[in-house]
Amino acid sequence: MAKTALKAGARFKSTVCDTQVMVVKAPAGEFELRCGGADMVGATAPAAAGGTLDPALSGETLIGKRYVNADESLELLCTKGGKGTLSLDGVALEIKQAKQLPSSD
Amino acid sequence: MSEREDPIAQAYAEHLLASLGRQAEASLALPMEHPALRWSRCGLMALTGTPDTPLMFPAPLAACADGALAALAALGPAGALDGIDAAALLAERAAIAGHRRGGDVSPGGACRLLRAADGWLALNLARDDDWDLLPAWLETELSPGWEGVAAAVRERLLEALIEQGRLLGLALADAQPMTDTVPWQRGLTAAAPMARSRPPRILDLSSLWAGPLCGHLLQRLGADVVKLESTQRPDGARNGPPAFFDLMNAGKRSVALDLRGDEGRAQLRGLIAAADIVIEASRPRALRQMGFDAEALAREHRLTWISLSGYGRGAPQEQWIAYGDDAAVAAGLSDTLYRATGQALIVGDAIADPLTGLHAALAAWAGWQAGGGMLVSLALRDVVRHCLQFDLPGGDEALRARQRHWTGLAMADGSARLPQARSARGTAPALGTHTAEVIAEWAAC
Repeated sequence: MAKTALKAGARFKSTVCDTQVMVVKAPAGEFELRCGGADMVGATAPAAAGGTLDPALSGETLIGKRYVNADESLELLCTKGGKGTLSLDGVALEIKQAKQLPSSD
Repeated sequence: MSEREDPIAQAYAEHLLASLGRQAEASLALPMEHPALRWSRCGLMALTGTPDTPLMFPAPLAACADGALAALAALGPAGALDGIDAAALLAERAAIAGHRRGGDVSPGGACRLLRAADGWLALNLARDDDWDLLPAWLETELSPGWEGVAAAVRERLLEALIEQGRLLGLALADAQPMTDTVPWQRGLTAAAPMARSRPPRILDLSSLWAGPLCGHLLQRLGADVVKLESTQRPDGARNGPPAFFDLMNAGKRSVALDLRGDEGRAQLRGLIAAADIVIEASRPRALRQMGFDAEALAREHRLTWISLSGYGRGAPQEQWIAYGDDAAVAAGLSDTLYRATGQALIVGDAIADPLTGLHAALAAWAGWQAGGGMLVSLALRDVVRHCLQFDLPGGDEALRARQRHWTGLAMADGSARLPQARSARGTAPALGTHTAEVIAEWAAC
Protein backbone atom coordinates (compact mmCIF):
# COMPACT_ATOMS: atom_id res chain seq x y z
CA MET A 1 0.00 0.00 0.00
CA ALA A 2 1.20 3.48 -0.81
CA LYS A 3 2.41 5.80 1.87
CA THR A 4 2.02 9.49 1.40
CA ALA A 5 3.08 12.71 3.13
CA LEU A 6 0.21 14.70 4.60
CA LYS A 7 0.60 18.46 4.43
CA ALA A 8 -1.78 21.01 5.96
CA GLY A 9 -4.16 22.24 3.29
CA ALA A 10 -3.75 19.20 1.03
CA ARG A 11 -6.95 17.60 -0.24
CA PHE A 12 -7.59 13.92 -0.82
CA LYS A 13 -10.44 11.89 -2.23
CA SER A 14 -11.64 8.36 -1.74
CA THR A 15 -11.40 5.90 -4.61
CA VAL A 16 -14.34 3.81 -3.40
CA CYS A 17 -16.92 6.40 -2.31
CA ASP A 18 -17.67 10.15 -2.50
CA THR A 19 -15.58 11.13 0.52
CA GLN A 20 -13.23 14.10 0.23
CA VAL A 21 -11.09 15.52 2.99
CA MET A 22 -8.69 18.36 3.66
CA VAL A 23 -5.72 17.99 5.97
CA VAL A 24 -6.04 20.51 8.80
CA LYS A 25 -2.91 19.31 10.54
CA ALA A 26 -0.69 16.28 10.32
CA PRO A 27 2.50 14.92 11.82
CA ALA A 28 5.64 14.81 9.69
CA GLY A 29 6.34 11.58 7.86
CA GLU A 30 4.51 9.30 5.47
CA PHE A 31 1.33 7.43 6.24
CA GLU A 32 -1.25 5.16 4.70
CA LEU A 33 -4.36 7.30 4.42
CA ARG A 34 -7.36 5.23 3.39
CA CYS A 35 -11.07 5.48 3.05
CA GLY A 36 -13.26 2.39 2.92
CA GLY A 37 -10.12 0.26 2.96
CA ALA A 38 -8.59 1.77 -0.20
CA ASP A 39 -5.81 4.33 -0.50
CA MET A 40 -7.00 7.90 -0.89
CA VAL A 41 -5.58 9.92 -3.78
CA GLY A 42 -4.94 13.61 -4.33
CA ALA A 43 -8.17 15.50 -4.98
CA THR A 44 -7.05 16.52 -8.45
CA ALA A 45 -5.86 13.04 -9.47
CA PRO A 46 -7.74 11.49 -12.39
CA ALA A 47 -10.61 9.25 -11.38
CA ALA A 48 -9.21 5.87 -10.41
CA ALA A 49 -10.62 2.64 -11.72
CA GLY A 50 -13.52 1.84 -9.44
CA GLY A 51 -12.31 -0.06 -6.42
CA THR A 52 -14.76 -1.65 -4.08
CA LEU A 53 -15.73 -0.46 -0.67
CA ASP A 54 -14.80 -2.89 2.10
CA PRO A 55 -18.16 -3.49 3.84
CA ALA A 56 -16.35 -3.75 7.17
CA LEU A 57 -15.00 -0.24 6.60
CA SER A 58 -18.19 1.54 5.58
CA GLY A 59 -18.70 3.64 8.69
CA GLU A 60 -19.58 6.76 6.68
CA THR A 61 -18.08 10.22 6.66
CA LEU A 62 -20.12 13.37 7.27
CA ILE A 63 -19.46 16.69 5.60
CA GLY A 64 -18.22 19.34 7.98
CA LYS A 65 -17.04 16.85 10.61
CA ARG A 66 -13.44 16.68 11.69
CA TYR A 67 -11.73 13.32 11.98
CA VAL A 68 -8.74 12.72 14.25
CA ASN A 69 -6.43 9.93 15.28
CA ALA A 70 -6.03 8.87 18.91
CA ASP A 71 -3.54 11.56 19.93
CA GLU A 72 -5.15 14.17 17.63
CA SER A 73 -1.84 14.76 15.86
CA LEU A 74 -3.77 14.21 12.62
CA GLU A 75 -6.91 16.20 11.88
CA LEU A 76 -8.87 15.90 8.64
CA LEU A 77 -11.88 17.97 7.68
CA CYS A 78 -14.49 16.13 5.66
CA THR A 79 -15.36 18.39 2.71
CA LYS A 80 -17.63 15.85 1.04
CA GLY A 81 -19.39 12.99 2.77
CA GLY A 82 -19.28 9.37 1.65
CA LYS A 83 -19.75 5.78 2.74
CA GLY A 84 -16.24 4.72 3.72
CA THR A 85 -14.44 4.80 7.06
CA LEU A 86 -11.32 6.98 7.20
CA SER A 87 -8.19 5.33 8.53
CA LEU A 88 -4.55 6.16 9.11
CA ASP A 89 -2.07 3.31 9.03
CA GLY A 90 -4.92 0.86 9.46
CA VAL A 91 -6.53 2.56 12.47
CA ALA A 92 -9.97 4.12 12.01
CA LEU A 93 -10.23 7.86 12.66
CA GLU A 94 -12.78 9.26 15.08
CA ILE A 95 -15.06 12.31 14.87
CA LYS A 96 -13.70 15.27 16.79
CA GLN A 97 -16.11 17.15 19.04
CA ALA A 98 -17.62 20.36 17.68
CA LYS A 99 -15.93 23.64 18.41
CA GLN A 100 -17.24 25.86 21.14
CA LEU A 101 -19.04 28.99 19.97
CA PRO A 102 -17.19 32.30 20.13
CA SER A 103 -18.19 34.76 22.84
CA SER A 104 -18.78 37.46 20.29
CA ASP A 105 -18.26 38.17 16.67
CA MET B 1 -29.73 61.55 -6.06
CA SER B 2 -32.20 62.55 -3.44
CA GLU B 3 -31.20 64.72 -0.54
CA ARG B 4 -34.47 64.54 1.30
CA GLU B 5 -34.72 65.78 4.87
CA ASP B 6 -35.38 62.44 6.31
CA PRO B 7 -38.22 60.70 4.59
CA ILE B 8 -35.70 57.97 3.84
CA ALA B 9 -36.44 56.12 7.09
CA GLN B 10 -40.14 56.44 6.38
CA ALA B 11 -39.68 55.35 2.79
CA TYR B 12 -37.71 52.34 3.98
CA ALA B 13 -40.38 51.40 6.53
CA GLU B 14 -43.09 51.66 3.88
CA HIS B 15 -41.00 49.65 1.44
CA LEU B 16 -40.54 46.84 3.97
CA LEU B 17 -44.21 46.81 4.89
CA ALA B 18 -45.22 46.78 1.23
CA SER B 19 -42.91 43.82 0.58
CA LEU B 20 -44.80 42.00 3.35
CA GLY B 21 -48.13 42.95 1.81
CA ARG B 22 -48.88 45.25 4.70
CA GLN B 23 -49.24 48.91 5.35
CA ALA B 24 -49.08 51.06 8.43
CA GLU B 25 -52.47 51.88 9.86
CA ALA B 26 -51.27 54.89 11.84
CA SER B 27 -48.43 57.26 11.18
CA LEU B 28 -45.01 55.70 11.66
CA ALA B 29 -42.98 56.61 14.72
CA LEU B 30 -39.69 57.91 13.34
CA PRO B 31 -37.00 60.23 14.57
CA MET B 32 -37.01 63.33 12.40
CA GLU B 33 -33.29 63.71 11.82
CA HIS B 34 -31.24 63.72 8.67
CA PRO B 35 -29.71 60.26 7.93
CA ALA B 36 -26.23 61.77 8.30
CA LEU B 37 -27.05 62.92 11.81
CA ARG B 38 -28.59 59.58 12.69
CA TRP B 39 -25.19 58.08 11.82
CA SER B 40 -23.15 60.57 13.82
CA ARG B 41 -25.47 60.78 16.83
CA CYS B 42 -26.07 57.04 17.29
CA GLY B 43 -22.43 56.16 17.79
CA LEU B 44 -21.74 54.49 14.44
CA MET B 45 -19.56 57.34 13.26
CA ALA B 46 -17.43 56.87 16.36
CA LEU B 47 -17.14 53.16 15.47
CA THR B 48 -16.07 53.71 11.85
CA GLY B 49 -12.80 55.12 10.58
CA THR B 50 -9.17 55.18 11.55
CA PRO B 51 -8.24 55.57 15.20
CA ASP B 52 -7.59 59.28 14.51
CA THR B 53 -10.63 60.10 12.40
CA PRO B 54 -14.26 59.02 12.72
CA LEU B 55 -16.04 58.70 9.40
CA MET B 56 -19.42 59.34 7.86
CA PHE B 57 -20.93 56.56 5.74
CA PRO B 58 -22.51 57.62 2.44
CA ALA B 59 -25.67 55.49 2.68
CA PRO B 60 -28.42 55.76 5.31
CA LEU B 61 -27.78 52.56 7.28
CA ALA B 62 -28.85 54.04 10.61
CA ALA B 63 -32.02 55.43 9.03
CA CYS B 64 -32.79 51.99 7.58
CA ALA B 65 -32.60 50.58 11.10
CA ASP B 66 -35.08 53.27 12.16
CA GLY B 67 -37.33 52.29 9.29
CA ALA B 68 -37.22 48.58 10.10
CA LEU B 69 -38.10 49.20 13.74
CA ALA B 70 -40.89 51.62 12.81
CA ALA B 71 -42.36 48.99 10.49
CA LEU B 72 -42.26 46.43 13.31
CA ALA B 73 -43.83 48.90 15.72
CA ALA B 74 -46.60 49.56 13.22
CA LEU B 75 -47.58 45.85 13.22
CA GLY B 76 -47.27 45.28 16.96
CA PRO B 77 -49.28 46.45 19.95
CA ALA B 78 -49.35 50.24 20.16
CA GLY B 79 -46.46 51.68 22.11
CA ALA B 80 -44.72 48.37 22.77
CA LEU B 81 -41.42 49.52 21.28
CA ASP B 82 -41.54 53.08 22.57
CA GLY B 83 -38.22 54.21 23.93
CA ILE B 84 -36.11 51.98 21.65
CA ASP B 85 -33.83 53.98 19.37
CA ALA B 86 -33.14 51.62 16.47
CA ALA B 87 -30.02 53.38 15.25
CA ALA B 88 -28.58 53.23 18.76
CA LEU B 89 -29.20 49.46 18.81
CA LEU B 90 -26.54 49.14 16.10
CA ALA B 91 -23.89 50.51 18.44
CA GLU B 92 -24.98 49.29 21.85
CA ARG B 93 -22.84 46.17 22.00
CA ALA B 94 -19.75 48.31 21.39
CA ALA B 95 -20.88 50.65 24.16
CA ILE B 96 -21.03 47.75 26.63
CA ALA B 97 -17.92 45.92 25.46
CA GLY B 98 -15.87 49.09 25.12
CA HIS B 99 -15.14 48.44 21.45
CA ARG B 100 -13.51 51.23 19.47
CA ARG B 101 -12.95 51.80 15.79
CA GLY B 102 -9.77 50.25 14.50
CA GLY B 103 -9.52 51.17 10.83
CA ASP B 104 -9.19 47.92 8.89
CA VAL B 105 -9.67 45.91 12.10
CA SER B 106 -13.17 45.38 13.47
CA PRO B 107 -13.98 47.11 16.77
CA GLY B 108 -14.21 43.66 18.37
CA GLY B 109 -10.74 42.87 17.05
CA ALA B 110 -11.41 39.48 15.40
CA CYS B 111 -12.06 40.60 11.82
CA ARG B 112 -9.57 42.20 9.46
CA LEU B 113 -9.50 43.45 5.93
CA LEU B 114 -6.58 41.85 4.13
CA ARG B 115 -5.19 42.62 0.70
CA ALA B 116 -4.79 39.62 -1.57
CA ALA B 117 -2.89 39.76 -4.85
CA ASP B 118 -6.02 40.74 -6.76
CA GLY B 119 -8.39 42.36 -4.26
CA TRP B 120 -9.52 42.69 -0.67
CA LEU B 121 -11.05 40.15 1.63
CA ALA B 122 -12.22 40.11 5.22
CA LEU B 123 -11.17 37.31 7.54
CA ASN B 124 -12.89 36.88 10.89
CA LEU B 125 -11.08 34.67 13.40
CA ALA B 126 -13.83 34.82 16.02
CA ARG B 127 -12.80 31.56 17.71
CA ASP B 128 -9.31 31.13 19.09
CA ASP B 129 -8.96 27.74 17.42
CA ASP B 130 -9.69 29.31 14.04
CA TRP B 131 -6.00 30.24 14.14
CA ASP B 132 -5.17 26.53 13.99
CA LEU B 133 -6.76 26.36 10.54
CA LEU B 134 -4.51 28.98 8.97
CA PRO B 135 -1.65 26.65 7.95
CA ALA B 136 -4.21 24.51 6.10
CA TRP B 137 -5.83 27.61 4.59
CA LEU B 138 -2.59 29.10 3.31
CA GLU B 139 -0.81 25.74 2.86
CA THR B 140 2.26 27.03 4.63
CA GLU B 141 3.70 27.32 8.10
CA LEU B 142 3.06 30.76 9.58
CA SER B 143 4.69 32.90 12.19
CA PRO B 144 2.12 33.70 14.85
CA GLY B 145 0.01 36.84 14.58
CA TRP B 146 -1.71 38.82 11.87
CA GLU B 147 1.47 40.03 10.14
CA GLY B 148 2.34 36.58 8.89
CA VAL B 149 -1.21 36.02 7.72
CA ALA B 150 -1.29 39.35 5.90
CA ALA B 151 2.02 38.62 4.17
CA ALA B 152 0.90 35.20 2.98
CA VAL B 153 -2.49 36.48 1.82
CA ARG B 154 -0.89 39.27 -0.20
CA GLU B 155 0.75 36.72 -2.52
CA ARG B 156 -2.38 34.70 -3.19
CA LEU B 157 -5.45 35.06 -5.36
CA LEU B 158 -8.84 35.84 -3.86
CA GLU B 159 -10.81 33.07 -5.48
CA ALA B 160 -8.49 30.31 -4.30
CA LEU B 161 -8.25 31.82 -0.81
CA ILE B 162 -11.99 32.00 -0.48
CA GLU B 163 -12.61 28.52 -1.82
CA GLN B 164 -10.06 26.87 0.46
CA GLY B 165 -11.11 28.96 3.47
CA ARG B 166 -14.78 28.15 3.04
CA LEU B 167 -14.01 24.45 2.91
CA LEU B 168 -12.25 24.89 6.24
CA GLY B 169 -15.17 26.75 7.77
CA LEU B 170 -13.41 30.10 8.07
CA ALA B 171 -15.54 33.25 8.02
CA LEU B 172 -14.28 34.97 4.88
CA ALA B 173 -15.71 37.62 2.64
CA ASP B 174 -14.78 39.00 -0.75
CA ALA B 175 -14.98 42.77 -0.32
CA GLN B 176 -16.26 43.16 -3.86
CA PRO B 177 -20.00 42.51 -3.66
CA MET B 178 -21.51 40.31 -6.35
CA THR B 179 -25.25 40.60 -6.33
CA ASP B 180 -28.17 42.79 -5.53
CA THR B 181 -30.52 41.25 -3.08
CA VAL B 182 -33.76 41.33 -1.19
CA PRO B 183 -33.86 41.33 2.60
CA TRP B 184 -35.67 38.02 2.92
CA GLN B 185 -36.50 35.09 0.70
CA ARG B 186 -39.48 32.78 0.36
CA GLY B 187 -41.56 35.94 0.32
CA LEU B 188 -44.28 36.32 2.82
CA THR B 189 -47.60 36.29 1.10
CA ALA B 190 -49.94 39.21 1.19
CA ALA B 191 -52.37 37.17 3.25
CA ALA B 192 -54.53 39.33 5.43
CA PRO B 193 -53.47 39.12 9.05
CA MET B 194 -55.41 36.59 11.07
CA ALA B 195 -56.99 37.48 14.35
CA ARG B 196 -54.71 36.11 17.04
CA SER B 197 -56.13 35.43 20.46
CA ARG B 198 -52.81 35.24 22.28
CA PRO B 199 -49.24 36.41 21.85
CA PRO B 200 -46.90 34.04 19.99
CA ARG B 201 -44.74 31.38 21.59
CA ILE B 202 -41.19 31.77 20.34
CA LEU B 203 -38.45 29.18 20.40
CA ASP B 204 -35.11 30.91 19.95
CA LEU B 205 -32.34 28.47 18.99
CA SER B 206 -29.90 31.20 18.01
CA SER B 207 -26.88 32.67 19.73
CA LEU B 208 -24.67 35.76 19.84
CA TRP B 209 -26.48 38.86 18.57
CA ALA B 210 -28.72 38.78 15.47
CA GLY B 211 -31.13 36.04 16.57
CA PRO B 212 -31.19 37.01 20.24
CA LEU B 213 -31.97 40.63 19.28
CA CYS B 214 -34.83 39.36 17.12
CA GLY B 215 -36.23 37.40 20.08
CA HIS B 216 -35.69 40.34 22.40
CA LEU B 217 -37.71 42.68 20.18
CA LEU B 218 -40.50 40.13 19.83
CA GLN B 219 -40.57 39.77 23.57
CA ARG B 220 -41.04 43.52 23.84
CA LEU B 221 -44.10 43.03 21.63
CA GLY B 222 -45.51 40.64 24.21
CA ALA B 223 -44.28 37.26 22.94
CA ASP B 224 -43.39 34.37 25.25
CA VAL B 225 -39.77 33.76 24.29
CA VAL B 226 -37.89 30.62 25.23
CA LYS B 227 -34.14 30.58 24.63
CA LEU B 228 -33.07 27.04 23.90
CA GLU B 229 -29.40 26.07 24.18
CA SER B 230 -27.49 22.86 23.86
CA THR B 231 -25.94 21.76 27.15
CA GLN B 232 -22.80 20.94 25.13
CA ARG B 233 -22.57 24.23 23.28
CA PRO B 234 -24.39 27.02 25.11
CA ASP B 235 -24.61 30.50 23.61
CA GLY B 236 -21.03 31.79 23.46
CA ALA B 237 -22.31 35.24 24.47
CA ARG B 238 -22.65 33.84 28.00
CA ASN B 239 -18.86 34.22 28.12
CA GLY B 240 -18.99 37.82 26.90
CA PRO B 241 -19.97 40.94 28.84
CA PRO B 242 -22.88 40.04 31.17
CA ALA B 243 -24.54 43.43 30.62
CA PHE B 244 -24.89 42.65 26.93
CA PHE B 245 -26.12 39.09 27.48
CA ASP B 246 -28.70 40.44 29.94
CA LEU B 247 -29.78 43.15 27.53
CA MET B 248 -30.52 40.57 24.83
CA ASN B 249 -31.88 37.77 27.01
CA ALA B 250 -33.45 39.11 30.20
CA GLY B 251 -37.11 38.16 30.30
CA LYS B 252 -36.69 35.08 28.12
CA ARG B 253 -36.95 31.68 29.73
CA SER B 254 -33.94 29.37 29.44
CA VAL B 255 -34.16 25.74 28.36
CA ALA B 256 -31.07 23.55 27.99
CA LEU B 257 -31.17 20.16 26.28
CA ASP B 258 -28.56 17.54 25.50
CA LEU B 259 -29.05 17.44 21.75
CA ARG B 260 -26.68 14.50 21.23
CA GLY B 261 -29.20 11.99 22.50
CA ASP B 262 -32.64 10.81 21.42
CA GLU B 263 -34.37 12.19 24.50
CA GLY B 264 -33.08 15.74 24.00
CA ARG B 265 -33.95 15.65 20.32
CA ALA B 266 -37.47 14.40 21.06
CA GLN B 267 -37.89 17.23 23.56
CA LEU B 268 -36.69 19.72 20.97
CA ARG B 269 -39.18 18.29 18.48
CA GLY B 270 -41.96 18.76 21.01
CA LEU B 271 -41.03 22.38 21.66
CA ILE B 272 -40.86 23.12 17.93
CA ALA B 273 -44.33 21.63 17.50
CA ALA B 274 -45.73 23.89 20.20
CA ALA B 275 -44.02 27.08 19.00
CA ASP B 276 -45.47 29.73 16.71
CA ILE B 277 -42.12 31.17 15.69
CA VAL B 278 -38.70 29.48 15.60
CA ILE B 279 -35.56 31.59 15.37
CA GLU B 280 -32.64 29.52 14.21
CA ALA B 281 -29.16 30.36 12.95
CA SER B 282 -27.37 27.07 12.51
CA ARG B 283 -26.17 25.74 9.22
CA PRO B 284 -28.98 23.73 7.64
CA ARG B 285 -26.86 20.60 7.51
CA ALA B 286 -26.46 20.66 11.30
CA LEU B 287 -30.22 20.34 11.76
CA ARG B 288 -30.55 17.86 8.93
CA GLN B 289 -27.86 15.66 10.47
CA MET B 290 -29.97 15.70 13.65
CA GLY B 291 -33.05 14.68 11.68
CA PHE B 292 -34.84 18.04 11.51
CA ASP B 293 -36.25 19.38 8.24
CA ALA B 294 -37.02 23.05 8.84
CA GLU B 295 -39.27 23.59 5.82
CA ALA B 296 -41.35 20.50 6.58
CA LEU B 297 -41.66 21.40 10.27
CA ALA B 298 -42.76 24.93 9.38
CA ARG B 299 -45.51 23.61 7.11
CA GLU B 300 -46.60 20.85 9.45
CA HIS B 301 -46.90 23.02 12.55
CA ARG B 302 -47.91 26.31 10.89
CA LEU B 303 -44.69 27.86 12.16
CA THR B 304 -42.95 30.96 11.04
CA TRP B 305 -39.42 29.59 10.88
CA ILE B 306 -36.80 32.34 10.79
CA SER B 307 -33.62 30.92 9.27
CA LEU B 308 -30.64 33.23 9.79
CA SER B 309 -27.46 32.61 7.85
CA GLY B 310 -24.50 34.45 6.43
CA TYR B 311 -25.29 33.93 2.76
CA GLY B 312 -28.64 32.18 2.52
CA ARG B 313 -29.88 28.63 2.12
CA GLY B 314 -29.10 26.25 -0.71
CA ALA B 315 -25.83 24.86 -2.03
CA PRO B 316 -23.14 25.95 -1.81
CA GLN B 317 -23.73 29.11 0.23
CA GLU B 318 -25.50 27.45 3.14
CA GLN B 319 -22.16 25.92 4.12
CA TRP B 320 -20.41 29.27 4.43
CA ILE B 321 -20.17 30.72 7.87
CA ALA B 322 -20.29 34.42 8.61
CA TYR B 323 -20.29 36.81 11.52
CA GLY B 324 -21.48 40.38 11.65
CA ASP B 325 -18.32 42.13 10.52
CA ASP B 326 -17.34 39.92 7.60
CA ALA B 327 -20.94 39.69 6.35
CA ALA B 328 -21.03 43.50 6.25
CA VAL B 329 -17.86 43.46 4.16
CA ALA B 330 -19.42 40.87 1.85
CA ALA B 331 -22.44 43.17 1.46
CA GLY B 332 -20.15 45.87 0.12
CA LEU B 333 -19.92 48.34 3.01
CA SER B 334 -16.12 48.47 2.99
CA ASP B 335 -16.06 48.66 -0.79
CA THR B 336 -18.52 51.56 -0.71
CA LEU B 337 -16.50 53.43 1.88
CA TYR B 338 -13.34 52.74 -0.11
CA ARG B 339 -14.91 54.27 -3.19
CA ALA B 340 -16.04 57.27 -1.15
CA THR B 341 -12.82 57.87 0.79
CA GLY B 342 -10.00 55.79 -0.69
CA GLN B 343 -9.54 53.93 2.59
CA ALA B 344 -10.17 50.23 3.24
CA LEU B 345 -12.03 50.18 6.55
CA ILE B 346 -14.48 48.15 8.59
CA VAL B 347 -17.89 49.84 8.98
CA GLY B 348 -19.52 49.75 12.43
CA ASP B 349 -19.34 46.92 14.97
CA ALA B 350 -20.62 43.63 13.53
CA ILE B 351 -23.33 45.80 11.99
CA ALA B 352 -24.86 42.94 9.99
CA ASP B 353 -26.00 41.35 13.26
CA PRO B 354 -28.26 44.07 14.64
CA LEU B 355 -29.54 45.05 11.18
CA THR B 356 -30.48 41.42 10.58
CA GLY B 357 -32.04 41.09 14.02
CA LEU B 358 -34.32 44.06 13.30
CA HIS B 359 -35.42 42.74 9.92
CA ALA B 360 -35.85 39.22 11.31
CA ALA B 361 -38.18 40.47 14.04
CA LEU B 362 -40.32 42.20 11.43
CA ALA B 363 -40.42 39.11 9.21
CA ALA B 364 -41.23 36.88 12.19
CA TRP B 365 -44.06 39.01 13.52
CA ALA B 366 -45.58 39.55 10.08
CA GLY B 367 -45.29 35.83 9.29
CA TRP B 368 -47.03 34.90 12.52
CA GLN B 369 -49.79 37.41 11.87
CA ALA B 370 -50.26 35.96 8.39
CA GLY B 371 -50.84 32.49 9.79
CA GLY B 372 -47.36 30.92 9.64
CA GLY B 373 -46.55 27.75 7.75
CA MET B 374 -43.45 29.14 6.09
CA LEU B 375 -39.71 29.36 6.34
CA VAL B 376 -38.25 32.84 5.94
CA SER B 377 -34.57 32.97 5.13
CA LEU B 378 -32.61 36.06 6.10
CA ALA B 379 -28.94 36.21 5.12
CA LEU B 380 -26.76 38.69 6.99
CA ARG B 381 -25.06 39.73 3.77
CA ASP B 382 -28.35 40.26 1.96
CA VAL B 383 -30.00 42.31 4.70
CA VAL B 384 -27.04 44.69 4.81
CA ARG B 385 -26.88 44.83 1.03
CA HIS B 386 -30.58 45.68 0.91
CA CYS B 387 -30.07 48.58 3.32
CA LEU B 388 -26.97 49.72 1.43
CA GLN B 389 -28.71 49.73 -1.94
CA PHE B 390 -31.87 51.47 -0.79
CA ASP B 391 -30.56 55.01 -1.25
CA LEU B 392 -27.04 54.70 -2.62
CA PRO B 393 -25.79 57.38 -4.99
CA GLY B 394 -24.90 55.94 -8.38
CA GLY B 395 -21.29 56.32 -9.48
CA ASP B 396 -18.16 57.15 -7.55
CA GLU B 397 -18.36 60.91 -8.09
CA ALA B 398 -21.86 61.08 -6.61
CA LEU B 399 -20.74 58.85 -3.78
CA ARG B 400 -17.86 61.17 -2.94
CA ALA B 401 -20.17 64.18 -3.13
CA ARG B 402 -22.60 62.49 -0.74
CA GLN B 403 -19.73 61.67 1.61
CA ARG B 404 -18.56 65.30 1.64
CA HIS B 405 -22.06 66.67 2.08
CA TRP B 406 -23.07 64.36 4.90
CA THR B 407 -19.71 64.78 6.64
CA GLY B 408 -20.30 68.54 6.48
CA LEU B 409 -23.74 68.12 8.02
CA ALA B 410 -22.35 66.08 10.89
CA MET B 411 -19.53 68.55 11.49
CA ALA B 412 -21.90 71.51 11.47
CA ASP B 413 -24.23 69.67 13.81
CA GLY B 414 -21.43 68.97 16.26
CA SER B 415 -23.43 66.48 18.31
CA ALA B 416 -21.70 63.24 17.31
CA ARG B 417 -21.86 60.84 20.20
CA LEU B 418 -20.10 57.76 21.42
CA PRO B 419 -22.11 54.53 21.36
CA GLN B 420 -24.73 54.31 24.10
CA ALA B 421 -26.36 51.20 25.53
CA ARG B 422 -29.72 50.72 27.12
CA SER B 423 -29.91 49.10 30.53
CA ALA B 424 -31.18 45.53 30.66
CA ARG B 425 -34.56 44.96 32.25
CA GLY B 426 -33.27 42.46 34.77
CA THR B 427 -30.81 39.62 34.38
CA ALA B 428 -30.90 36.73 31.95
CA PRO B 429 -31.73 33.37 33.55
CA ALA B 430 -28.96 30.86 34.16
CA LEU B 431 -28.60 28.08 31.58
CA GLY B 432 -31.52 25.68 31.78
CA THR B 433 -33.40 27.43 34.59
CA HIS B 434 -36.79 26.75 33.00
CA THR B 435 -36.20 23.45 31.21
CA ALA B 436 -38.72 21.31 33.08
CA GLU B 437 -41.26 24.11 33.41
CA VAL B 438 -41.32 24.95 29.70
CA ILE B 439 -41.35 21.34 28.52
CA ALA B 440 -44.36 20.62 30.75
CA GLU B 441 -46.15 23.84 29.88
CA TRP B 442 -45.64 23.67 26.11
CA ALA B 443 -46.49 19.96 26.02
CA ALA B 444 -49.99 20.99 27.07
CA CYS B 445 -50.32 23.43 24.16
